[in-house]
Amino acid sequence: MTTQETAVKQTALYNEHVRLGARMIPFGGFDMPVQYTSILREHEAVRHRAGLFDLSHMGQFILQGENVAAWADELTVNAVSTMKPGQARYNIFTNERGGALDDVIFYKLPDRWLLVVNAGNAGKMWTYLNSHLANSGVKLTSLHGRNALIAIQGPKSVTMLERHTGVDISALKYYFCTEGSVYGKRAIVARTGYTGEDGFEMFVDGDDAAEIWNNLLRDNANAGLAPTGLGARDVLRLEAGMPLYGHELTEEITPVQAGLDWVVKFSKPNFTGKAALEAQKNADDYARIAGLVMDGRAPAREGYHVFLGDRRVGEIRSGSIAPSVQNKNIATALVEKEAAVPGTPVVVHIRGTAYGAAVVQLPFYKRSQ
Amino acid sequence: MAQPADLLYSKEHEWVKMDGDTATIGITDYAQNALGDIVYVELPKVGAQIPRFGNVGVVESVKAVSDLFSPVGGEVVEVNPELDNDPALVNREPFEGGWMFKLRLDDGAQTSGLLSADDYGKLTAE
Repeated sequence: MTTQETAVKQTALYNEHVRLGARMIPFGGFDMPVQYTSILREHEAVRHRAGLFDLSHMGQFILQGENVAAWADELTVNAVSTMKPGQARYNIFTNERGGALDDVIFYKLPDRWLLVVNAGNAGKMWTYLNSHLANSGVKLTSLHGRNALIAIQGPKSVTMLERHTGVDISALKYYFCTEGSVYGKRAIVARTGYTGEDGFEMFVDGDDAAEIWNNLLRDNANAGLAPTGLGARDVLRLEAGMPLYGHELTEEITPVQAGLDWVVKFSKPNFTGKAALEAQKNADDYARIAGLVMDGRAPAREGYHVFLGDRRVGEIRSGSIAPSVQNKNIATALVEKEAAVPGTPVVVHIRGTAYGAAVVQLPFYKRSQ
Repeated sequence: MAQPADLLYSKEHEWVKMDGDTATIGITDYAQNALGDIVYVELPKVGAQIPRFGNVGVVESVKAVSDLFSPVGGEVVEVNPELDNDPALVNREPFEGGWMFKLRLDDGAQTSGLLSADDYGKLTAE
């Protein structure tokens, strides 16, 4: 076995996290804040006011050229060619078996595309994309580790951000983006996020990140803007039913299995993995991601076995206490078709004891509009 | 971080309050802080015989599952009934309302190797 020893990197906001007393953990190759005060307190801030996130660990790639859309359409499951300038779209790169290489967001700007990939997949995706550039006319560059990404997420995001940006953010629609400024610094501002709340993501130069971060916290201190770590982010995304790569999506778990059929455009003439995904969908006998709500107070954790009666039908992929779901324990599980039907009572084995759970429709949490 | 002087401490961050032949056990302020928001505590059953340093349950935070050990041996005579509904009590009052279980100590129960508050303070300051 060979392992690549790579030093853990720091984002442009590392010093701010340390100053705020964050607990830091290595994640996706970067030293990242898992929490500043408490995961549950930060979660509460995002659901009721807003949280500020450093997501600079995520890979930011720039794609340029006439053929980007056609090129990307052959490598991903969603439609890229139909995107308009200023639009953002969730998408998934798949292998020939239909497994997910990464789930990503494409941002179409007037003269280029921004592609945001998962931190843990950035190296893999950089290699993969480069290996598919030949004769494509597509130019690929990486801003990974140089550019920063700051997100503000929560019902008060508009109020907290609008006075400090040159972008008319209340007019910016969900999953749209624009180039503009935040505190006078150049930024791509997008109405995207990963929490189930309204919010914005700001792609800025690493050199400007600390000033923007500190200004937003200072100017919204009284309104309750909370620096929020990856711990709360994981609870927020799970409640909102959003997949996390490595859990609900992997090279072995396809978008169809993850319940992301809406992302897969079978009407496209061809894309990598299309035949496999089509066959899987038509056969309809595959194991799939289901949402579970536990009966008791014992949390379900990744890897725990799930049973239907006496038969083992799958395993937990993510689990957490869910403050926005009556403080119950929720989980996703990859289970056989029969066990994935909402309403099905299943059993989760935790340290040798059987605990009841109910299969439910995802998402667990939807914000009131 | 302050820890009461009248308790004994284990290197695994449990505290023990000795009271005649009974011992009350919980986890320290240092431990609750390191774990973060505690969402579940699994305790032994009343009547169970616990060997010294035996694994008696788990303490779970949002992100992690940690084993709970008993620094002394004996029979479980009481568990904290509040923790099922309010596990965060361990975060708020680790040395008081957040106690976990009580043991009737084995004959000649050992407390050797347990630390004083001062020594435990030095251990966690490292």
